Amino acid sequence: MPVVELSYSRLQKLIGKVSKKQISDSLPFLGLDIESEDKDLVRVEYSPNRPDYSTDLGITLGLQGLLGIKTGIFKLNIKKSNNYVIHVDPSVSKIRPFVTGVIAKNGNVDDNLIKQLMAMQEDLHFGIGRKRKKSSIGIHDLDKIIFPLTYTSTNRDHRFIPLNSKSELTITEILSSTDVGKEYGAILGNSIKIPLILDSKKQTMSFPPIINAAVTTVTPKTKNLFVEVTGINKEDAEDMLSVVATILQIAGFTLYSTKILGAKNTSPKLEPRKILINSNLINQTLGLDLSNSQIISSLKKSRLDATLKGKNIICSVPAYRFDIFGPMDLVEEVSLGYGIQNLIPILSPSQTLGQPNSISVKLKSLSLIMVGLGYTEALNSSLTSKRVLYEMTNREPRNMISVLDSKSQEHTILRDSILPGLLENLSRNIHTAYPQKLFETGTVFSYGKPINETTNLAGISAHQDATFTEIKSILQSALKTGFNLEIETKTSSNPIFEEGRTASISINGKTIGMIGEINSKTIENYKIRVPIVGFEISLSGLIFE
Amino acid sequence: MSQVLHEIEKKIITSLKNNEKQTPENLEKSTNLSPDQIRRGIEWLKLKGLAVVTESQAISLSLGKNGLESFHKGLPERRLLDLLKHESKTLQDLQKELGNVFGPAMGLARKNNWVDASEEKIFLKTFPSELPGEKALKQIGENKISKNEIDADDLSFILKRPDFIIENVIKTKEISLTDTAKSIEITTGLSGEINVESKVPDVFVARTHPLKDTIDEIREIFVTLGFTEIIGSMTQPSFWNFDALFTPQDHPARELQDTFYLDGISTKKIGTSEQIKKISESHKKGWRYNWDINEAQKMVLRTHTTCVTIKHLAENKSDEARVFSLGRVFRNEKVSYKHLVEFNQIEGIVIGKNATLRDLMGIQREFYRRIGITKIKFWPTFFPYTEPSLQTMVYNDRLEKWVELFGMGIFRPEVTKPLGITKPVLAWGGGIERIAMLKYGLDDVREFYNNNLSWLRSTTKCQ
Repeated sequence: MPVVELSYSRLQKLIGKVSKKQISDSLPFLGLDIESEDKDLVRVEYSPNRPDYSTDLGITLGLQGLLGIKTGIFKLNIKKSNNYVIHVDPSVSKIRPFVTGVIAKNGNVDDNLIKQLMAMQEDLHFGIGRKRKKSSIGIHDLDKIIFPLTYTSTNRDHRFIPLNSKSELTITEILSSTDVGKEYGAILGNSIKIPLILDSKKQTMSFPPIINAAVTTVTPKTKNLFVEVTGINKEDAEDMLSVVATILQIAGFTLYSTKILGAKNTSPKLEPRKILINSNLINQTLGLDLSNSQIISSLKKSRLDATLKGKNIICSVPAYRFDIFGPMDLVEEVSLGYGIQNLIPILSPSQTLGQPNSISVKLKSLSLIMVGLGYTEALNSSLTSKRVLYEMTNREPRNMISVLDSKSQEHTILRDSILPGLLENLSRNIHTAYPQKLFETGTVFSYGKPINETTNLAGISAHQDATFTEIKSILQSALKTGFNLEIETKTSSNPIFEEGRTASISINGKTIGMIGEINSKTIENYKIRVPIVGFEISLSGLIFE
Repeated sequence: MSQVLHEIEKKIITSLKNNEKQTPENLEKSTNLSPDQIRRGIEWLKLKGLAVVTESQAISLSLGKNGLESFHKGLPERRLLDLLKHESKTLQDLQKELGNVFGPAMGLARKNNWVDASEEKIFLKTFPSELPGEKALKQIGENKISKNEIDADDLSFILKRPDFIIENVIKTKEISLTDTAKSIEITTGLSGEINVESKVPDVFVARTHPLKDTIDEIREIFVTLGFTEIIGSMTQPSFWNFDALFTPQDHPARELQDTFYLDGISTKKIGTSEQIKKISESHKKGWRYNWDINEAQKMVLRTHTTCVTIKHLAENKSDEARVFSLGRVFRNEKVSYKHLVEFNQIEGIVIGKNATLRDLMGIQREFYRRIGITKIKFWPTFFPYTEPSLQTMVYNDRLEKWVELFGMGIFRPEVTKPLGITKPVLAWGGGIERIAMLKYGLDDVREFYNNNLSWLRSTTKCQ
């Protein structure tokens, strides 16, 4: 989950009459987890579905509501204007069809705001933007642009000076030599046409979704901003724009509309939606008996608006709250406004009889039998490595089931056997007192339709006098005591065991596993100095299906 | 302190009280015990701090072949002097008389200026009454004599001569009583008493794995709260792991860096055509993208056990049920003290007409109470497939802070509706290792899978 750094003193200034303690007590009840605190600074984790919480301005709105300082919806006030027109050229329809935007004037652009806007942009690009694929934002210095603008397309030879560069580069150069170009270039695929925003002087402003032009860079000297969002979906683009617009309005900017024309694009409205909700749903879900007025005041504390209409409540949801899908999301908003700490847990009597799964019961009793026979239980990962599974034990790698792109070299292949892991355990314990006797029950994997999962039992005994007879007695006793099963052993060969000292195990003619003295080469590979004997059997199809 | 003594120990102590320092051989005689009994008895007494064993080395001397010959016939140089005592003799005569000892005898006599030679004869100059080494030779004779008893200077003359003296090193032990032992009153009576207070060797108990113990305990609690256990596969189609839980196909959590996809493995059979149709519609409507069945068919290692419960719900559509599932889940993360790629999760659901968020909180509180955690609180949080969603924070006394434990919530209508589930479903779950770490006081989650025998052998079974 993303993290944002806040300053208590700044929050106090933004929120109004409130103590530091009130803030720190309330943050978790907005769904913000306090990661760490250091004097005035506090770092909180926020949910990716709430990009408005990526800035202290957005968090201010939430805290004001929860603390009852300012409640109800924070309305976007976008002044109508005909001065800011964007023409959309149909040539973008097949690459990145939608553009939307807003103008923000007379705000206080300082280092802090720039920092916050950049963090928010990053977050929006990652979450709702799906790494800029669905939608991406550009924020520009309005005074460096002359409207009307054109959202159009160009070819890869087009040149301009991109952000953080001093010289002109072609689109091809940007994609191959800049960090953002390399990271996001793939979004454009092999398209010959490249999206571009130009101003009325044909000056390149932005190459979405990759990079802005250097000329419109926002600095602390900037007074007025132009925010554009491009994307493959109108709704997502406008959702993204609504978050930025809301944050800029909280920051003190005056907003003006843009007029977007052409190729199925329209001017953004960013107006609240109305959702109907029934108080029964709220009370039944939360286990409360709230009156309509309590519900309405709770919703207002969550910075929404609500009015009563007959038996239903009509709720107004601002555009930036696109995490709200329907009535159930409003139930959560009521619970937050009401206060989670005010919900008293109740323990309703169970209507059902519980029981463990029969496989769990059998596995537990098998564990206790193995312990009774002097074996200690080990636990290993089922995702392990080629080294442990095959190289150390001289087994032929066959039909390995691998995972893609594991971050850990030790966890790349699903195990097809438990014994190699137990041998690895012994090798880590060579300085501990012998005898060492271990067992493990667990899942092993093989190709099937599409994957077979089988539960196996393996046991291993390592000490100076370990013999085949010893381990066969153990397995024989375990199965006889636990499940009244009689085993037979037949001469066999298996690379993990010593030739002439290994057998296959069968019950009523059906082979269920293998047993023997571990191959001396394997013992040597693991630098173990005592003989080892072991077995592995499949329990699936034997003691359970 | 009263001492419990074995019969053997009693006999040895009694004997040593009479005769303060004795060798083991002496003790054998004085106590009538066998050499082995004496040896054991002395060891026991030593361990109890009742006896002191002082070891010493003694060297005894006896005569070798040449020594014995000299003892009987006189030293070669004595025999030479005797021959010359009365008359001078020629070299040849002397050689004849003395044979092979002539050379050494003549050499010594010359060196000591006892003889001289004129043209043809050897004649005596002085006749010493006693020669160096002669006294020692006589003292030893045919016996074994302690080296201490012999004049070291005199001995040195013959010690190095070949085959004269044989040195035997004898180690001797002398046993004596400590002051404590001396004060012990030896009582006759009970025999077969043992020292019940002494230390004994450790035996390593075979045991079930501590993490398994916690898993079993949690299973037991769920069963007693009326829940039935279901189990499912660790490998799952993305459909049940993600799509059925309203996680969009382009969601970051579904990417390779978070989820283990099985290399090149998909499955055609993911669900009924009805399920596939309704779930894809819910995605298209809610998330506005083109749902792709190929993506849903990709096999993954399950990232949570919720896929098992949701499939169970879809197949059974019960109106009233409590079920849980626990087992291994997988996340493609870097392994660290707090992250494993594979860990255990518990996940439970309650479905019921009147199931409420407060019930969910109540069950949580009861669960924690039963594992011994009483200080808890609930905070709001976000999960893609529940609404409302909460998390539990529990207070850890050892770390002196609140730690996050289970996540919980009510399944979203977007999850339940397409599967034909009409009643509210309360769901919660979390990592079992987290609880086990609290129980065993561990700070590194990897400890559970290291299978370090000294840890497994020493960890207390119940805490």
